[in-house]
Amino acid sequence: MSIPIAAESVAFVYPDGTRALDGIDLHVAEGERVAIVGQNGSGKSTLVRQLNGLLRPTEGRVLVDGRDAAQLHVAQLAARVGLAFQNPDRQIFAGRVRAEVAFGPRNLGRSGDAVDRAVDEALDAVGLSGTADANPYDLGYSRRKLLAIASILAMQTPVVILDEPTTGQDARGVARVRAIIERLSTEGRTVITISHDMRFVAETARRVVVMREGRILLDGTPGEVFGEANWPALASTYLEPTLPARVGARLGLDGTATEAALVEALQARRG
Amino acid sequence: MSLTLAGARYRYAGTARDVLDGIDLEVAPGRVVGLAGANESGKSTVCLVASGLAPASIGGRLDGSVSIDGIETKGMAPHEAAQRCGVLFQNPTTQLSGTTVTVFEEIAFGPRNLGLEIGEIVGRVEWVLDTLGIAALAPKDPARLSGGQAQLVALASVLALRPAYLVLDEPTSQLDPQGTRLVGEALAGLAAETGTGILIVEHKTELLAAMAHDVAVLETGRIALAGPAPEVLADPRLAELGVEPPASARLRLALGAAGLGSDRDVFDAIDGAAAGGPRVGGRPAGEAPAVGPPVNA
Amino acid sequence: MPHGTYHALNPTTKLVIAFAEALVAFGVRGWTGPLAVLVVLALTALAAGVARRMVPFALATIPLVISILLVNTLLYPGAHDVIVRLGPLAPTWSGLTAALQATLRVIAFALSAAILGLTTPTDDLLSDLERRGLGRRGTFVIGSAIRMVPRMGERAGEITDSQRARGMDTQGSVIRRVRGVIPLAGPMIFGALTEVEEQTMALEARAFSAPARRTVLRVLPDSGAQRLVRWVLFLGAIAAVAAEIAGLLHLP
Repeated sequence: MSIPIAAESVAFVYPDGTRALDGIDLHVAEGERVAIVGQNGSGKSTLVRQLNGLLRPTEGRVLVDGRDAAQLHVAQLAARVGLAFQNPDRQIFAGRVRAEVAFGPRNLGRSGDAVDRAVDEALDAVGLSGTADANPYDLGYSRRKLLAIASILAMQTPVVILDEPTTGQDARGVARVRAIIERLSTEGRTVITISHDMRFVAETARRVVVMREGRILLDGTPGEVFGEANWPALASTYLEPTLPARVGARLGLDGTATEAALVEALQARRG
Repeated sequence: MSLTLAGARYRYAGTARDVLDGIDLEVAPGRVVGLAGANESGKSTVCLVASGLAPASIGGRLDGSVSIDGIETKGMAPHEAAQRCGVLFQNPTTQLSGTTVTVFEEIAFGPRNLGLEIGEIVGRVEWVLDTLGIAALAPKDPARLSGGQAQLVALASVLALRPAYLVLDEPTSQLDPQGTRLVGEALAGLAAETGTGILIVEHKTELLAAMAHDVAVLETGRIALAGPAPEVLADPRLAELGVEPPASARLRLALGAAGLGSDRDVFDAIDGAAAGGPRVGGRPAGEAPAVGPPVNA
Repeated sequence: MPHGTYHALNPTTKLVIAFAEALVAFGVRGWTGPLAVLVVLALTALAAGVARRMVPFALATIPLVISILLVNTLLYPGAHDVIVRLGPLAPTWSGLTAALQATLRVIAFALSAAILGLTTPTDDLLSDLERRGLGRRGTFVIGSAIRMVPRMGERAGEITDSQRARGMDTQGSVIRRVRGVIPLAGPMIFGALTEVEEQTMALEARAFSAPARRTVLRVLPDSGAQRLVRWVLFLGAIAAVAAEIAGLLHLP
């Protein structure tokens, strides 16, 4: 149930003249797991809004499943590309957790058992099954955030985009989000995550895209992007490689962006 | 002389459950105490209680003792508490008054509320701009700052009331890496330079490792773990308590588990790399931010 | 007149001017009230050098203006002077006249507020009102209401984006749109409430409720002449509206 998604030479200029995206070329294949990183204002959020049609490119085009997104309405795109926003309080309106999660699938024209099943599955994935009948506003911020993610999962879109899913989450919440991404990935769905947390990025993504001032600065596997050769580029946009990458570099190993990669490299060296 | 919670229990107005269930905590002048714990373990409530906002400003019931330099916060008016213990929240924008046109006037907002002489107000604003190294922001429009800058201005606004203690509730959670670094650096030297006692709630244990003397970990309204920062942050129970150990502690554990625990050069490399970052504090003011990791020796 | 002159007027004087303009625009029937105010506004805007920056404020009234024009022109009660029949639609001259007058009033109101906003820092206005005895709470309520406006716009945009991303169709039938109100209004209200809560605590943390008389950072210039102007404008505007209500004015 996966589809490719692509931005081709996309530029975007806001009405106030800000050039938020400039010559973006990004091809995400079916089932890829991509993280987009960069400072606020680097164009990450603007870029993902192009992918689900909330914003339309000023120049260039966006392709969803090979079709020019310009020919699809936002509602049609919403069935293909789910986008969970950063701030859950900008979307939660229902009096019950279950109703909030059902909003998306119902909008997509689904009904009855199909919706119930999708809602149950989504709540289970984020660990909120026990609070299905609670009022969303009785939940703390971190659980409201998971609820917002569930409301996108329930739409069962081939592409899922998560904007800053770990903000405000504790260690368990972060582990939960990681599990969600891995599960989506094993189902073959495409996952794009925006995050400021480099360790989370290195551990969850297969591909890291670094943005700066509306352009793509680096694009590669976590091992490549956090490799020593790219440190000056990362530093130019205030990003630091993960600790395992820094330790690996000191030991003459490259491409060790995660603890697991470092352990593996050390074991291989030992023979 | 200290900010002291002794057997503090607190429940919010209209609820029947104690969110804080007997908290003992002490912040001495010039010390930085970190507070970690899973979500909904009571960290933010500790901030409200320690700063005197609860119950004075938001109601609820406080039992036990919360005192600032020997004076109980119960019965202290909010504006009195604000001059003894400042508090900084997560969201930079909601903390600014929004009624001022320059950062200078924004910082003067608090001192003006106290009805201080103009000379005194100007002196305080200049002192705090200088202390945080943000004099360059003074003429700017508070509505046009980056997240990190806005958070520093919010911090400055609280410090302008000259509190002896400061409570910080996840001051960097809503900031990007650049903003986190900006605020982290400003906070790092603050306790040492001004003698302010700081209580900081933070998920990012790296930040605590870099600046806290002591760390306490909360679990459902009680302190489950407390002690000197290096000990608590290396405690194996941290993960069970819903707290992510600092990267270096995690890495050591992972290497140990893989049977690589005896490699001296590996551990030296961790020490070296961890000492090099995250870059919090220690940079002379005015120096261009050193970006990126240290070049290997 | 150099551009700074209007800016340098005492904030309360400018507030009274805006108030008088709005009062006359809405309180005096027919064309004279709104047109007179618009002429005054145009001259003021040119003198203050803010004419160009007022354009967005005028544009912001467009949705309201369009609905006023449509509703009045097509549905003016009791009007029979039909301009032209377009199937079931029968626009009337009296409806159109009423609509155009209402439009002018709305624009006059928006622009009088715009000139005040563009030439007066909020804090100056507030501290001047405070100096005149408006309590600090009252001052803050006005101040935060003013600053709410751009924030509300931003929030509304984010909420709309979030719901559209969940497949909500904001176009289409009336029923659909009405149903779409709750998902948009709910987060709006909740967001405003939580923000007010956070803001209140942040204000307390900045000694907002201290009993002392708040220090005035800058004493804003005022003069006997301005004082006189304020009273004349204030009483004059009220008199004009009173005369209108009493049926003493027979203006076109």
